[in-house]
Amino acid sequence: MDRLKRAALITRLLQNLRDKGSWCGETHAQKAAFFAQHLMEVPLEFDFILYKHGPFSFDLRDELTSLRADGLIQLVPRWPYGPTIKPTDLAEKLQNNYTKTLKQHEKKIAFVADKLGAKGVADLERLATALYVTKQKRTDEQPEKRAKKLSELKPHIRIDQAQAAIDELDQIIKEAQEIIH
Amino acid sequence: MPKHTHEIRDPIHVFVRLDNHERDVLNSRSFQRLRHIHQLALTYLVYPGATHKRFEHSLGVMELASRVFDVITNPDNVSEDIRSRLEPLGKADSDALRYWRRVLRMAALCHDIGHLPFSHAAEDLLPQGWDHERVTREIIASEEVRQIWENMTPPLRQEDIIKLAVGPKKAKDLQFSDWEAILSEIVVGDAFGVDRMDYLLRDSHHLGVAYGKFDHYRLIDTLQILPMPSSDDGNEDGEPTLGVDEGGILSSEALMVARYFMYSQVYFHPVRRIYDIHLKDFLKSWLPDGVFPTDISEFLLITDNEVTVALRKAAFDEDASGHSHACRIVRREHFKRLYERNPNDVAINPEAGRAIFDALGKEFEVDRFRHDRYFQKGGAPDFPVRMRDGRIVSSLAVSEVLNNVPVLSVDYVFAERSIFNEAERWLKENREKIIEPKKEETNNG
Repeated sequence: MDRLKRAALITRLLQNLRDKGSWCGETHAQKAAFFAQHLMEVPLEFDFILYKHGPFSFDLRDELTSLRADGLIQLVPRWPYGPTIKPTDLAEKLQNNYTKTLKQHEKKIAFVADKLGAKGVADLERLATALYVTKQKRTDEQPEKRAKKLSELKPHIRIDQAQAAIDELDQIIKEAQEIIH
Repeated sequence: MPKHTHEIRDPIHVFVRLDNHERDVLNSRSFQRLRHIHQLALTYLVYPGATHKRFEHSLGVMELASRVFDVITNPDNVSEDIRSRLEPLGKADSDALRYWRRVLRMAALCHDIGHLPFSHAAEDLLPQGWDHERVTREIIASEEVRQIWENMTPPLRQEDIIKLAVGPKKAKDLQFSDWEAILSEIVVGDAFGVDRMDYLLRDSHHLGVAYGKFDHYRLIDTLQILPMPSSDDGNEDGEPTLGVDEGGILSSEALMVARYFMYSQVYFHPVRRIYDIHLKDFLKSWLPDGVFPTDISEFLLITDNEVTVALRKAAFDEDASGHSHACRIVRREHFKRLYERNPNDVAINPEAGRAIFDALGKEFEVDRFRHDRYFQKGGAPDFPVRMRDGRIVSSLAVSEVLNNVPVLSVDYVFAERSIFNEAERWLKENREKIIEPKKEETNNG
C-alpha cells in the first residue's frame, strides 16, 4: 500500500481510539492495528509476531517513527507512564487527500476503536493474543482449547482470564462479520 | 601453563579479553573475513579516518555485552519481583547465568558475521527475503562454527546464539522468552543495545568527531531490569525490560543525543549517501545476475577488497561493466545534492522528494538523477526508570530531553554534475507546483 495512504488510515485509527477515550500509547496502537488488519481486513500490510504484550509489529513501530519524522503524529508525555500518541493537524490535512480510501475502511476502523478504545494494556494483551491464537488455529476450534493455548503462550494470563478473553473475542468476531461483508 | 584468556588491544575499550572458544570463533574463516569489511562502507571518502572494520566492532560489542550482563545480573541490582519472573535469576546455583553469559558473548561476537561487502551500502542486493541477519543465522548454523559451540562444556545451543545475535525483529520465526528478549536487547536493543553504543563511540573515534561520545561507563553502571510501567492500568506488572535507575537518566539522554548527532552529521551526510548509491549501481552490474550469492562458501569469498579491485579496474576501462558507476566513486565524480527535505515542504507533502525525482525524470532523463529516502528505525526512547523513592516511571515522563530529540529521515534528490545547473534552474521555477499533493482520485497511489 502507498505509504501516505497507509499513514492516513493509521492516523485516523489513532484519532478514533482517542475519541473513544483510549490512552493511545504504542501498545494501544499496536493492538488496534492488529485487529484492523487481521480481523477487519484493512490492508495495512504489517508483519506481526507474538512479542510485547501479545501481537507486535516492528514494522508498525518503524512506521510510527516515520510518522513522527513527518510531523503527522506527536508523542505527548503523561506522567508517570508512557506517552500518548496524538495525530497532528497535518495528519488531518493528509486524510483529506485520501477520502476515498478512508470511506472504504471507515466503518471497520470505527468498529475497532469502539471495541478497544476503553481497554487498558492488560485487557488488550489478552484480547489481541486471543485473536492471534484464533487466527493460528481454526476460528471454530473449541474455545477451551484456544484459551489453553493462550495461557501457554502468555503464562501470566490465568486460564479463567484466557477463557473470558476468548469468549469476548468470539462475540467481537460475530459482530464484525456484518461490517466486513 | 597453558593460557586460557587472551587479550586484544582496543582503542575504545583498552583490552578485550577472550577465552579459548571465543578465540576459535575469532580464528574462523567467517570471522576473519570481517577484517575486510569496512564498518562505514565508503565513508572514508568523506571522513578519511573511517577505515575501521566490522572485526574490531564485533569484539567491542562482545566486551560491552558482558559488562552489561554483569551489572544487570548482580544480585544487588535485581528486585525480588524480577527475580521471581526471570528463571535464570532465581536459581540458587549460577550455572544457568554462566551459560547465558557465554551465549551472550558469542552472540555479540557473531552479530555482524553475515555482513555484506561495505556493510549496509548494498544490502538490498541480496535475493528477496534475505538480509545480513539471515546470512548471520546461516553462518552461526554452519559446520565450521557449529563445532565450536558443540565442543563447549556445556555445549551452547545454536538457536540461543541466533536469538541473541539478531533479536526478535529479525528472527520472527522464533519464540522469545522474556529472559531471551532482554538478553537480545543487550545486543541489538533500540534503547541500550551495545551494538549501537560501540559503533557510536568507535565511529566517533575513527572519524575524528566528538558527536558520538557519551558516558557509557556511567550508563552501563545504572542499567537494571525493570518492569515497564503499563500506562493506564496503574500497576507495575509490565513486561520486564532494560531500564535505568534515576542516576542514569543524564547518560541515557547523552546516548540518544549522540545518536541524533551522528546520524545527522555522519550517517546521513549527503555525499556519504550518494557514494552508497553509486556503489550499489556498480555492484548491480558487477555481481552475477546483480545479486550477492547466498551460498555461504561463495558468500565468504567476497569482501571489500575484491570489490575495490574491481571498482578501480572498471574506472579506468571504458569497456568494463559498471564503468560509469565506478568513475563516480574512484574519480570522485559523484552526483550532487539537488534537493533535501525541509520542514516547509514536509508540511505540504511528506513525499516531496519522490514528487521532485519523478518530475525530473519526466522532464530530463531519469538515469541522471537518484532519489534517496530513508527513515530512522526503532521506537521512541521509552524505557523504565527507577526513581529514588522506588517508583518506576517511563523515561519519557521524566526527561524533557528524550521527548525532544528530533526524529531523522532522509529525502535527497541527487543530479549528475553535467545537468545539475539546468535541473536546478528548472526546479526553482516548478518546485511549488511539483510538490503540491494530489487528491486520491487523481493520483496513482
